[in-house]
Amino acid sequence: MEHIPIRADTDVLAARQKGRALGLQAGFSSIDITLLATAISELARNILLYAHEGEIELRLLNEGGRRGIMVIARDQGPGIVDIERALQDGFSTSGGLGLGLPGVKRLMDTFELKSTYGAGTVVTAVKWELR
Amino acid sequence: MASLANPQSDTTALYRQALEKYLRDESEAALHAAYLLGRRLLREGSGILPLIELHHQVLAALPPEGVSTERLRAAGRLLAEALSSFEMSLSGFSEANAALRGINQRLEDELRKLAHALHDESGQLLTCLFIRVDQARQELPPTAAGFLDEIKGMLDAVESQLRRLSHEFRPTILDDLGLGPAIDFLAQGIAARSGIPIQTDDRLRRRLPPPFEVALYRCAQEGLNNLVRHSRATRARLQLQTSQGRVELKIEDNGCGFDPRQPGAAHSLGLLGMRERMHGLGGEMQIASKPGAGTAIQLSLPLPPEGEYYGAGTPAAGR
Repeated sequence: MEHIPIRADTDVLAARQKGRALGLQAGFSSIDITLLATAISELARNILLYAHEGEIELRLLNEGGRRGIMVIARDQGPGIVDIERALQDGFSTSGGLGLGLPGVKRLMDTFELKSTYGAGTVVTAVKWELR
Repeated sequence: MASLANPQSDTTALYRQALEKYLRDESEAALHAAYLLGRRLLREGSGILPLIELHHQVLAALPPEGVSTERLRAAGRLLAEALSSFEMSLSGFSEANAALRGINQRLEDELRKLAHALHDESGQLLTCLFIRVDQARQELPPTAAGFLDEIKGMLDAVESQLRRLSHEFRPTILDDLGLGPAIDFLAQGIAARSGIPIQTDDRLRRRLPPPFEVALYRCAQEGLNNLVRHSRATRARLQLQTSQGRVELKIEDNGCGFDPRQPGAAHSLGLLGMRERMHGLGGEMQIASKPGAGTAIQLSLPLPPEGEYYGAGTPAAGR
């Protein structure tokens, strides 16, 4: 388990690097590792953009021999008022290009967003190894 | 799409820096820089190919000793990072396309219901009204006859308008008899209204999956409307046929034509809509036209195997 505080752009590098190392450990293909790093970047970017600071936690999962990686992005920022809207491409800051949270949702196998207005946001997403 | 690989450009410099750095130290910072650059280019509207071209140009400019299999592989990893946002975006577009198809299907269903309601329910009410007007004529003094005739005339107009609307929304002939007869009926109606003779040639003679029939029908409708509005043609022809596993609809006229490279004409909403309908089903649209030399629009869809798909109201034979 890894906790990486996210306060500045350089922290994003650390989170990506740890994600990549865990991806190798989980037997991910190089493409999946690249996509995992992309998801981590987008989550970290969201933290910096909206909450200014937070953390990214990375966990190696093993379910009946199948390995995966869980990425948890946490912040105590302003929270998201309308979660459904935040997950629609047109309403994200990416302007309909499928970047940001909607993009992360598509890159990962599972995706969950919990947010309390005024008390922060937690995104939990898992990517499994291909079998 | 403009090339990114201008040696002076900021993009080239940034990508070269990232590549050189990565070949030196294989650092996350270099990968991240490539990722951010790709993300920025995506947001600026760049395509994938300019980015790949940029990659090759930067790679080709490296000193010769810089190129080994190992280093090429490393460079490939960096390119993958730069392209990763495009991958993320592409899956979003595929989803959006599927959603649009669903919405279009629902719209067609709604139109069919509306057409049905107009034709059957309002039609029945009108029939009752006609009968009542006739009854009233017998009950009322003869001086009222002119008045009642006037009412009947207006009811006639309402009826024919309802019938036309219902047909435009969703011709029952399309569901009952299929694309060929529906297009022929459409063309003859438009020919009668516009005075332009329209010849139709149906060599298809089979039913297609409903989404195919609806898409081609709507394109024929749009194409013929355009023709009447803009072409100043004196003759037009519609041809429906199969060729090499595809179904093709050709709409031709001998009118004034236009330059398809001119943004205004070829990108009109109507033509865009036709093209999108074809793309949505894996097909395509081609326009051949020149000012003064008429227009030919060719629509083509990959044909599903015969008998594999029978939608509602399949062949009229046996009915």
